[in-house]
This record gives sequence, C-alpha cells and structure tokens, in this order.
Amino acid sequence: MRGFVAHRLGLAAVTLAGMSIVIFVLLRIAPGSIVDLLFSSAGYVDPAEKQQITHELLLDRPIPVQYAQWAGALLHGDLGKSYRYGLPAARLIGPRVPITVELAVMGMAVALLVGLPTGIVSATRQNTAADYGLRIFSLAGLSMPAFWLGMLIILMLVRVFGWIPPMLYVPVRENPGLHLMQFLFPALAVGYRSAALINRMTRSSMLEVLREDYVRTGRAKGLAGRVVVYRHALRNALLPVVTVVGTEFAFLIGGLVVTETVFNLPGVARFLVEAILWRDYPVVQNLVMLIAIVVVLSNLAVDLLYARLDPRVRYT
Amino acid sequence: MMTQHASLRWIVSAALAGILAASSAWAAAPVPKSGGVLNAMHREDPPSLSIIEEATVSVNWGVMPCYNNLVMFDPAKSQETPQAIIGDLAEKWEWRDAGKTLAFTLHRGVRWHDGRPFSSADVKYTFDLIREAPGMSVKLRLNPRKLWYSQIQAIDTPDPATVIFRLKRPQPALLMMMASGYSPVYPAHIPPTELRTRCVGTGPYKLREYRPGELIEYVRNPDYFVKGRPYLDGIRFIIIKERGTRIAALQAGRLDIMMPQEGSKNAGEQLKKAVPSMIITLASHDINTNLLMNFKRAPFTDARVRRALSLAIDRRGFIQAVRQGAALMGASLMPRPWGAWGLGPSALAALPGNGDGAAQKTEARRLLAEAGFGPAKPLRVTLSTRGIALYVDMATYVIDQFKQVGVAATLDQVESAVWFAKLARGDYELGANQTGMGADDPDVTFYENYACGSQRNYSQYCNPEVDRMFDAQSQEPDQTKRQAMVAEIQKRLELDAARPIFAWDLDYFAMWPYVHGFVPHNNVYNNGRLQDVWMSK
Amino acid sequence: MSRADAVAAPAPVAVPRYRRPGVAGAFTRRSPLGAIGAVIMLVVVVAGLAAPLVATHDPTRTDATQTFVPPGPRHWLGTDHLGRDIYSRLVHGARVSLAVGVACALLGGLGGGAVGLLSGLTGRRVDGIIQPVLDIMQGFPLLVLALVMTAALGPSIGTVVVAISVPFIPRVARVVRAVALGVRETTYVEAARALGAGGLRVALRHVFPNTVAPLVVMTTAQLGSAILVEASLSFLGLGIPEPYPSWGRMLAVSATEFAQRAPWLVIFPGLAISLVVFASNLFGDGLRDYLDPRLRI
Repeated sequence: MRGFVAHRLGLAAVTLAGMSIVIFVLLRIAPGSIVDLLFSSAGYVDPAEKQQITHELLLDRPIPVQYAQWAGALLHGDLGKSYRYGLPAARLIGPRVPITVELAVMGMAVALLVGLPTGIVSATRQNTAADYGLRIFSLAGLSMPAFWLGMLIILMLVRVFGWIPPMLYVPVRENPGLHLMQFLFPALAVGYRSAALINRMTRSSMLEVLREDYVRTGRAKGLAGRVVVYRHALRNALLPVVTVVGTEFAFLIGGLVVTETVFNLPGVARFLVEAILWRDYPVVQNLVMLIAIVVVLSNLAVDLLYARLDPRVRYT
Repeated sequence: MMTQHASLRWIVSAALAGILAASSAWAAAPVPKSGGVLNAMHREDPPSLSIIEEATVSVNWGVMPCYNNLVMFDPAKSQETPQAIIGDLAEKWEWRDAGKTLAFTLHRGVRWHDGRPFSSADVKYTFDLIREAPGMSVKLRLNPRKLWYSQIQAIDTPDPATVIFRLKRPQPALLMMMASGYSPVYPAHIPPTELRTRCVGTGPYKLREYRPGELIEYVRNPDYFVKGRPYLDGIRFIIIKERGTRIAALQAGRLDIMMPQEGSKNAGEQLKKAVPSMIITLASHDINTNLLMNFKRAPFTDARVRRALSLAIDRRGFIQAVRQGAALMGASLMPRPWGAWGLGPSALAALPGNGDGAAQKTEARRLLAEAGFGPAKPLRVTLSTRGIALYVDMATYVIDQFKQVGVAATLDQVESAVWFAKLARGDYELGANQTGMGADDPDVTFYENYACGSQRNYSQYCNPEVDRMFDAQSQEPDQTKRQAMVAEIQKRLELDAARPIFAWDLDYFAMWPYVHGFVPHNNVYNNGRLQDVWMSK
Repeated sequence: MSRADAVAAPAPVAVPRYRRPGVAGAFTRRSPLGAIGAVIMLVVVVAGLAAPLVATHDPTRTDATQTFVPPGPRHWLGTDHLGRDIYSRLVHGARVSLAVGVACALLGGLGGGAVGLLSGLTGRRVDGIIQPVLDIMQGFPLLVLALVMTAALGPSIGTVVVAISVPFIPRVARVVRAVALGVRETTYVEAARALGAGGLRVALRHVFPNTVAPLVVMTTAQLGSAILVEASLSFLGLGIPEPYPSWGRMLAVSATEFAQRAPWLVIFPGLAISLVVFASNLFGDGLRDYLDPRLRI
C-alpha cells in the first residue's frame, strides 16, 4: 500500500508540473494582455508606455524564461503580485478560498443529504409514483443552467418577499446569522444540481446491485429486506457514487463560478474567471495550481477509498 | 410598446417631474440630518484608484468622495454649464489678459487626509503632472487627458493661496474641464503610483478600506474644510458585478442609491413598479454610441461609401431597438435641453440617419452604386465590437440595417482585452463604440475624438481644415458666435461621417426616497463627491 | 396412396406467427420515460434540421417597431428587445445547440471511452502513462479550461466545441476505466483468459458490453452538459458569438436584463434548454436500462 501511495504522489507531482505548463502556455497564447487592458480602461494606447510596462512585468521575456521565474518563485512560496490590483496575489487569494470552500462543502452537504436518501428511496421503490416524482425532480436539477437557477431564486425572493440575501460578505465569527443567510441560498442552488447527480448515481447503482446474485441469495436465505439493502447492497452500490463525488468536486467549480457571481459572494471561483478575463497571469496561474493540488489529492483519496471499499481491486 | 411621440412625452414629463422633484426636494426639504452610512451601488472594481489616470465612470463614482477639484459643477444643478460652476478648493477666480490668464484664490486651512497642509504647490504639481510640463521628474503611468491642458504655458504660485495659469492662447473651456470629475487635485508629497492603490485627498470622506471585488468604504472627514459637511458618517460602495443582482439589491433595499449609467429604462420602470415611492430621475449620460470607420482603409476612404453607411442606419429605429426608446438623437455634442451645444431639430433632421428611414436607405443604395457597389458586387465589411451585451446589440442592429441596403457585414466579436489594442493598431474596418465626454464642452469632444493625431481618434479622421475650425471655436469668447461655429462643425463631422453618432443615452436614475441632497447630473462622470447627501432614515 | 393417408392428413390450421417485437417497441416497453425522451429529442432534431422551413421569420432580422411583443398570432413566442422573433431563433438555435452538444458528446464520449478502455485493460505501464495525462486534463475545472481555451482561441463555434469536449474526456475515461478494472477481475473474464482468449477479444466480448451502459449514460449526459456549459460560457460572455442564435446566449442575456419586463424572453430559451437536457438524460437512462446485459434474459 505504501508503495502505491508513493507512486501516486510521484504521479501527482508530474501531473502538477504538466498542468502548470499547460496553463502557463495557454494564457500566453490568448490574445491580449494586462497591458492592453490597462490602456483599454484608460481609453487610449501609448506605445512607449506600453512597452515600458510590458518590460516591467517581464512579459517581453521568452516564455521558458518567464516560466522558470514563476516556478522558481512559487517553490519559494512567493505567489507574486496581481497585475490588475498591484497587490500580492496571496493577499487577494487567501481570504477568498475559505468562502468558496465553505460554499462547496455546504453544497455537497445539501447534495448528500438530499441525493442519497432520495436515490435509495427511488431504487427500492422503483417505478412507483415516488420514483417517477423523484426522478423528474432530480432531472430538473440537472437540466437547468446554474445561473438560471440562481437568478430564479433571486427573482422569486425579491418579488415575493421583497428581500434578497446580504450582498456584503460577513465572516461567520462576526455575525453567524447573517452569514448563514448569505450562504444558504447559494448553497441550495449549488447543491441542487449535485444532489440530482448523486440521486441518479445512487439509484442506478442500487438498482444494479439489488439484482445481483448475492442479494437474491440473501433474500432467499430469509434475511429481512432492510438488512439486505443496508448491509449488502448499499455498501457496494456506493462505490461508483464515491467516484462521482470525487470527480464532481472539480466539476462543481463551474457551478460555483456562476453562483458566486449571481449571489455576489467574493469567492475564489469567480475571482479566477475574472483574473482570466483580465489576463492577470500570476493570479490565474497560482489559483489553477491550487485547484490542481486539491483535485489531484481528492482523486488520490477517492482511489484509495475505492481500493479500501472494493476488495476486488488491488494495486499492489 | 409606446409610439415615438408618446415615449417622447414620457421622457419630457419624467424630466420635468424630475426637475420639479429635485427643486422641491431642495427648496422644501427638511433640515439635513447628520449621520448614517450610505450604501451605494457599484458595478465593478475601478481599474485603479487614480482618477486622473483612468477614463471610466467606475473610477469617478467610487473615488470622487476622497478628492476635491479646484472648481466643480454645482451638485444641486443637473445642467452642467459654465454658470453652474462653483468653487471647490478655489474660493474665487478671475480671467485676466483677455482670457489668457486664469487666477485662483484658494481656501485656507485645508489639509490632506494625512494631516499635511494643502497649498497652491499641490495645484501646480497636479496640472504640471497632467500636461507633462518640461522639467517634471514624476510621470503618470496612464495619461488619457493630457491634451485637456495643452494650452497651459506655465503655472505660477506667488503664495500658498494663489495659483495663476498662463495660457498660450485664450481657452474659455478650460474652466469647464477643471470642473469635471476627472480633474481632482493630487497631493504633491505622494508619488502617483501610490495613488493607484490608495487615496489621499482633501475631500469630504477618507478612504477607510478598499476590498477588491467587494467594497470601497469611506468615513467622513472630520477636518473637512467645508464646515458642516459632509452629513453622512460614511459611504459604502458595494461592488456587485452581476447586473440583475444589482438592480434586485436596490429593489430590496440593500442599496440606497443607484450608480450613474446603470439606469436602463427596464431597470427604472421595474424599480418604480416594485417600489412606487422610489425616486426615478431622468438624466443624460453625456455618452453616445457611435460607429468607428477606419479612415485608413478602402473603401472607407471614399466619402460616398461613408455617407451611405451612415445613411443606412436609422437612428430612430436604433434608439427603439437597442435602447428601448431611452436615448436621444444628436450629433457630436449632447442634444438640448440636456446639453448646451446640441443642434436644433431641423438641423438634426437633415443629417444622415436622422430623417426618413426608407428615403435615406434609397439614397444610401444610390451612393453605394455610384461608388461601384451593388447587387453584382456587394460591399463586404467586418464590424468589430466587444463581447458585452450592449455592444453586441448595437452591432446586431447595424448589421441588419446594412443588410437592407445590400452591404454584407460580418460581426467580429472580441474580448475587451483585445478590443482596444485592435483599435489602436488600426486593425479593424468598422467598430461599434461608445464615447463618453468628461464635460459638455466642444473642446473636450473635438480635441479628444476628431483632431488629427489624437490618441482617442480611433478612426484616424484627419481634416486640417476642420482642425482649424476647432482652434477657432476654442478661442472664441463670444458665446453666440461660438455656438454658431460649433453647430457648423457638428454638421460637417456628420456629413463627413467622421464618427456617425447613433444616439445619446439616457439614465433612469433611481434612489430610495430617504436619500436627499443628490441631483443626477446630465453627465455621469462629474457628480460623485456626495458631500451634500444625507439620509432621513 | 392409401385411403388412410387421405383421411389422416389434417386441414391446414392458421397458427399465429410469433413476431419478435421491434427494437423500438422493446425499448418503449422497457423504459417508457426513455421513449418519451427519445421522441422529444427527435422532434428537436427535426426542427433544427428543418429550421428554414419551420421558422416563421428570419432569426437575425431586427425590427424596431416590434420590440418586446408578447407571444401572439404574429410572433408565436414573442419578440426580443431587438424585435427578433423568438420562435424562429429557438428553432435555428436548435441546430446550433444540438450540433455543439452532439459534437461535444461524441468527441468526449468516444475519446474518453477509448482512453478509459485502454487504460483499464492494458498493463500497469500504459496505465501509468495515461493516468497523469488524464489527471492533467481533469485537474482543470471544466468551466475554467473552457474559459481559458475560448480566451486563447477566440470565441467561435469551433473553439467552444473543443473547449467543452476536452474536459469531458478524462471524466469519461475515469469512469470507464473503473468499470473496466472491476470487470477485469471477475471470474468469467479470468476464465476466458485461462481458456486462452487474447486481450482484444476479452475487451470486445466481455469488458465492452459492461462499459457500454455507463458510457451511454455519460455520453447522453454529456450532451446535456455541453449545452449547459455553453450557456454558462455565454453568461460569462465567452460563448458562441452572434450571429448564431444560441439558446444559452439567449437565456444569459435576457435573464439578467429583461426577466421582469418580458418573462417570455427567459422562459422559452430556458424551457428549450431544460427540455433538451431533460430528454437527453431520460433517453440515456432508457438506453442504459435497455442495454444492461444482465437484464436481457
């Protein structure tokens, strides 16, 4: 097992390096740079000044040189300065990460709390009214663009209650009530889609397992239905679900981006998108690396969990 | 959908109602109450906190509370004319030497937010910095309005409370430009690069905190040189990037006041319907939408082609389709009664695009045929624009209008990062564009956008004869004569299709009834000081 | 011939022939919801293909006198802020959205499926090379990679297709690989190997049928996802540009500006997107149920 983990960690390092190169190059292929944007907001371009700022930001060096400079600084823990704000990237990214993490975790919690039980119910009561109803509900969640759901929620709140969640971020320590109010609706919006996915995966997985021979055997042996479901079927049914949850986390970021935008949460997902649009290379590169680390580690965790849960799979 | 006539009536009555409300609010207002924090709408991070270096309302609205100008437009008057200019840091001023010298007497006892005393040296420093005076060791990183002060020969400071501008030639417009929100006075003791990330001014509010992407927060300046001001304890500019959410936040009361330029007709009507007591005031942005033609590329070098393209675009239809009726026809200066220099209706009707749509399209086809284009050899053009909804709508409408005269136009949608670079390089054929004016004065409009070689003259239109006309009107002290000259120039520019103007935008500015002391101006850039605002809740 | 033969031969009796139910019939019986999904998809596809015939107006024609017209006899689903007919735009948009969705789903599904099978069935060495590449591709959140690619390559319909497909490949590959790994260890595969069956034969005969089900489900889900991601990209300003009418952009633009003034601008594109995604998921579910080898007894 230890050899396996070491092997995977080595792979992870290679993966991260690969990702850093890909994002670095892609960004620089994209037409337009921060210098263009700086002048764009001023409404004119002065070629001499443009050249000077480009030089200051080291953007006129060859790409491998820029990469080496960035990678070197990163390994020393220096995240560089945001081109757009002139402030240290760490100072901009730092406070935003917990917000996105919190939203993601709350969203996942909603998803699991809603998705798992409904999936089990749907599977055990297949083709009944409850099953159909739940399936339609979950499909609706998968069929709506994330921003539409968010806008609908806000529209409904404003029209019916004349109220929307707070627009200024309040840390939980300052005012837990307000904080919760701010995160509740975005978490629901984010969680609905993931709940739908988990629901469907659970249902489909449970259905397959419930038909397995060993389940039939259990039933034939006279074991109570619930024992069969929970002891035997559920554990095996959860395996693909674990995979989905693991991959879903990265998938989640798309939903997080638009939800943060619509509900005005100053999270890191939205910040990343803005940084891309502003060609703020240091912020984008470092953020993507951060996300990459999270994703690679979570993939590793999922694989390990899978290996634990499924006795058939062995990596040694 | 209202007819043109009915919506014009709507506009006029709303404007009158607005003026009435504003003046009655002003006259019969209860005594201003001190206290409270104003939650103001903001739509995005300012590109930097340095007003002088930027050219977007996102900086002015958000940073003006921190600074003072030499002079400013009276906050209580919606119309920005020379008569509406009052002193800010300047107590009084006078023109001398037949308009070639402008002398200011400054207030005494004014301090910067960091405690250092303000003096005439700061004024000299600021304007020398902007005009890049010889001998200035300090330089601005971005300097979009350098040519505003190109007529200044020298600035003298005989004593700490007097500053004298000596001009190369008379320029009555100088005072208008100094009154613009774009002309704050900077501290001489702070390097300009620092002012991009923090704010040290003399203004009614001190910057408390700027959280990028979230909020710009101010607290009142207790040592402000205007006694009794400001009324508010503080201002919070809450940044909400998503448009629908911003309006919803105002509707739900999380925001007290809108941001200038955010008042689309839809938003205004929706807010009024949801909150009948909401105060909606009609104001003009002093921003127009226009068509850029690359004068350095064939076939736009042919005046007939240019005129034809301008004729093809029905301005009335444009206003209805792209602006839902909330815009005005006009030439290169803001139309009356919102601006002081606009052409009259009969003169306007004679200009391309403003007359009868069908007749003008026929004329356009004729001109194109003369220039050698027709069904056998259609004119193919590319229309570039930014990927923002408004610009895309503009381009979509224009392309369809072109189709109706046989011009095949393709839309080239580019990201903002790419847009300006393309324009500056001249790497485009046609562009759908928006141009804002820092002040309603012909000097601002003409020199920035139409003068030969000007940085913001993206079409690269260059006509030395018209340049001479610019200089002539700029020096003319007689208002009536100047009006006539400016009218001639506007007609000329439209007929030349230098930069065909589509429309001048209107704002349905909204604020909750408990907000007082704010009168929306007919210009979004100049009324952000907020020193007279107070709340009655 | 004896007299007994003549008497003994019985008259021919009409025996009802047993007719195998057609594929469509079997599918419908197995999964009625899936059939509904298939029908909806078919309708949308036909509408998209026949767009010029089915549309009532030119989808790009602006009309300043007909802005914000509610649904009525002349404009069945109303008009937008530029006076364009919504119904015609939806119908033409069906082409665009479906084309993008199908292209992405196929690219992602086939590419990911192939990579996943390869990864799961071959030895550790090949898997060891493929894994990090997949991890690299997957490490980028879907929307972020799509965004960076669209920014890099410029907003165009081709870019959007590539940008949306690329992040799908590792996701599909992962799931397919997991199933392949699991199946590889089952007894019947071991038995087949013991009997001397080669790797490819094992793959096609035993592993592939087991991966078809999740692959099909994921690919049809991808169709829906692609449409949704395109909508999100449009919301952020980097989706399919004009003049192609795209449902995602129609929804994104109206949802923020005109939702209260002209709800039909938001409802119909939103319904169109939701319906197609819904239908593709239903169809995928139905296909999965139908193709599940364990149930085909």
